[in-house]
Amino acid sequence: MTETTPELAYLAGPSTTAEAAAAAVQEWIDANVPPAWRAAAEEAGPSAVRKARTPDEYRAWYPVFGRSGLVASGWELEYGGLSWTRDTVKAAETVLGRYHLPRLNPLGMNNAAAAIFAFGTEEQKRRFLPPIVRAEELWCQLFSEPGAGSDLASLSTRAELDGDEWVVTGSKIWTTWADTASMAILIARTDPDVPKHQGITYFLIDMHQPGVDVRPLPHMGGETEFFQVFLDGARVPDSQRLGDLGQGWKVAQSTLSGERQMVAGASSGGVDRIGGAGTVQLVRLAQRISDERGDAWDDPQVKDKLVRLYAEERVRAWTNRRIRAGLAAGRAPGPESSIGKVHQADLNQRIQEAAAELLGMAGLAWSGDAADPAAYARSMPPEVRGMLRSRANTIEGGTSEINRNVLGERVLGLPKEPDPWQGKPWREIPRG
Amino acid sequence: MDATELDAVLDTVRDLIRRRLIPNEPEIDETDEMPVGLKEEAARMGLFGFAIPEEYGGLGLTMTQEAELVMELGYTTPAFRSMFGTNNGIAGHVLMEGGTEEQKKEFLPKLASGEWVASFALTEDGAGSDPAGLATAVRETADGWVIDGSKRFITNAPVADVFMVFARHSEGPVAGEISALMVPAGTPGLTVAPKDSKMGQHGAWTAEVYFDGVTVPKENLIGTVGKGYITAMRCLAHGRLHIAALCMGLAQRALDETISYAGQRVQGGSVIGDHQLIQGLIADSVTDVMAGKALVRSAAVEFDAGRDKRQAPSVAKYFCSEAVGRVTDRAVQVYGGSGYMRGISVERFYRDARLFRIYEGTSQIQQIVIAKQALRTAAGK
Repeated sequence: MTETTPELAYLAGPSTTAEAAAAAVQEWIDANVPPAWRAAAEEAGPSAVRKARTPDEYRAWYPVFGRSGLVASGWELEYGGLSWTRDTVKAAETVLGRYHLPRLNPLGMNNAAAAIFAFGTEEQKRRFLPPIVRAEELWCQLFSEPGAGSDLASLSTRAELDGDEWVVTGSKIWTTWADTASMAILIARTDPDVPKHQGITYFLIDMHQPGVDVRPLPHMGGETEFFQVFLDGARVPDSQRLGDLGQGWKVAQSTLSGERQMVAGASSGGVDRIGGAGTVQLVRLAQRISDERGDAWDDPQVKDKLVRLYAEERVRAWTNRRIRAGLAAGRAPGPESSIGKVHQADLNQRIQEAAAELLGMAGLAWSGDAADPAAYARSMPPEVRGMLRSRANTIEGGTSEINRNVLGERVLGLPKEPDPWQGKPWREIPRG
Repeated sequence: MDATELDAVLDTVRDLIRRRLIPNEPEIDETDEMPVGLKEEAARMGLFGFAIPEEYGGLGLTMTQEAELVMELGYTTPAFRSMFGTNNGIAGHVLMEGGTEEQKKEFLPKLASGEWVASFALTEDGAGSDPAGLATAVRETADGWVIDGSKRFITNAPVADVFMVFARHSEGPVAGEISALMVPAGTPGLTVAPKDSKMGQHGAWTAEVYFDGVTVPKENLIGTVGKGYITAMRCLAHGRLHIAALCMGLAQRALDETISYAGQRVQGGSVIGDHQLIQGLIADSVTDVMAGKALVRSAAVEFDAGRDKRQAPSVAKYFCSEAVGRVTDRAVQVYGGSGYMRGISVERFYRDARLFRIYEGTSQIQQIVIAKQALRTAAGK
């Protein structure tokens, strides 16, 4: 497979020094990153790059980045990376960071890859990891169901063996990027006669096939960010089962902890928050509104709120940095990702609420067509979009209530909530 | 109106809401249109004039009675109340508080019957919670009053037959004073912009209104010259108590939906209402609703008795609008993932409720009104 060998393969391996890597990355950037983006980054910093290009232009260029080996330079060469050591990766990332080159395919890079690394066969790793790095196969996650959200382990999508293929029937909900994904990580019930956690198996399923039907699910803000996926006799070969039969819950745990970090902003993917901007922008907004309307900036209530939120966000950011450092040092993600998730979700809602509040009436009514959902979503002030989007933060990736239970039981060692159905076969447990 | 009559009105309204509104809520939200024929049905029931005195063709409800009615009206999309809310509320009150007997006799019956839909045109770009910053100008000429300026977020503007416009005198001995004027739709120079797009309360239309040399006859000035600011303040006090009751109607609805969902959604082998953290959310919402309703009722009694027409309406509006925000927020949380999706009732209520903390005086303005009154009382003024 010479055509998929990373372009910088000649530098691959643990013997490449940090200095050599930094120089090679800079050379690669000068030769491959479009001059306008480079100029913007070098003159005005990474955030200026976003103005120099559209998301579509970035996606069109991305294969160049994907083929370089720099997207995941710490991964093995045969999986699409460059087999670099942690220090070398760090040096490379420092150079890349100046040019703002975010990774596409986050569910592939974070969720699918984490599970494949931990539980995949050598053959599965070689088959699936390189296209994830190059974003040639985009991934989504088929976990939550209409009847299995907070109690995910009660899921009822069935997978039944037919020869050397599994036949999957059921429906999944809250699926991000299902419209663009060609692959999905899937958990399905393979044995209804054992306790719920034990009868689940983990699969890597092809989204482009007749038994998969993807339908949009517009949310509160009028946008479509989530989908419902109907599986009706969809097929997945046994060679794309990840981990053993009945081991799916354990495989999924590696993915779920990653997701909580993503919502908490602690993930290496760098998703700082979902929905809206941070307190620095909030302060700028207050200043802008003051310039226009002559209030807000001098209002003691507004000042008090801004300072509180700013301080709290700094504390959150430092804590996240500590979590990231722990991960970088090779420690497994632990309960601190649940703590971060509960706090960040609540904090982000308050930040976005404050931003929408600063707009006053302009945050409630604006020019635009309410009857056309797409036009409605586009016409909405960004602060309102952020506020509505952030409402999901205390629900997605495990509700705050579920995460508080996790914290109580696993961090504080409080008694577990009694479960009268513990140890009973899944088939006997009542479901909604 | 006596208690039996009021009960009959409440029953009819309750029935109308369950029959004509609740089943159509998703469609109203989606299309931004109210069901055909609903306006006529509401007019026949007297809803365009429930707060207007009987002698002028209304139902003549007291504040206490009005609070009960509005808590019922709030049980569905707030767009329903908006159809006739301004006729009874701020726009109708402009005439009741500030109009001459002649004006009341001529115009109130038109509002009470629904023949006219009235808009209250106070808010401007630079004058929201505080009408003192009002810039729309009025001047006297031989032909009548000439108005220039613009208004924002005017409820019912695209369908209004008449606008109650607040403007500042730009000339003469009354320069700087504010007056209220009645401007019929279609008057040359008056333009209504396309309706706004809003976060929630779809089905209720707001729009910008422009006045470019709009001329109305002398008799269209409501009451006396320069009385507009006082009139606006009085209208707002009544309106605040009205909005507080409306908030409690929506809060009750969101709470009912929350309890029903928590009692049937099964996770972990039992209904989620069995879990203590869900019970905590429900208990807090029940408490907010009971406290809010009690507050509305006691503030209405004080209002009717003339003992408190200023502080208690602000206290009620402040508490109830914040409470409905908390209750609808908890409703989304209990519904979980489905509560965040378009087309689910609680998602809509969450968006609908947000406006209550802002219009007819933001929470921050209410805090100032409440505190100033408290300090004034303590100082014995």
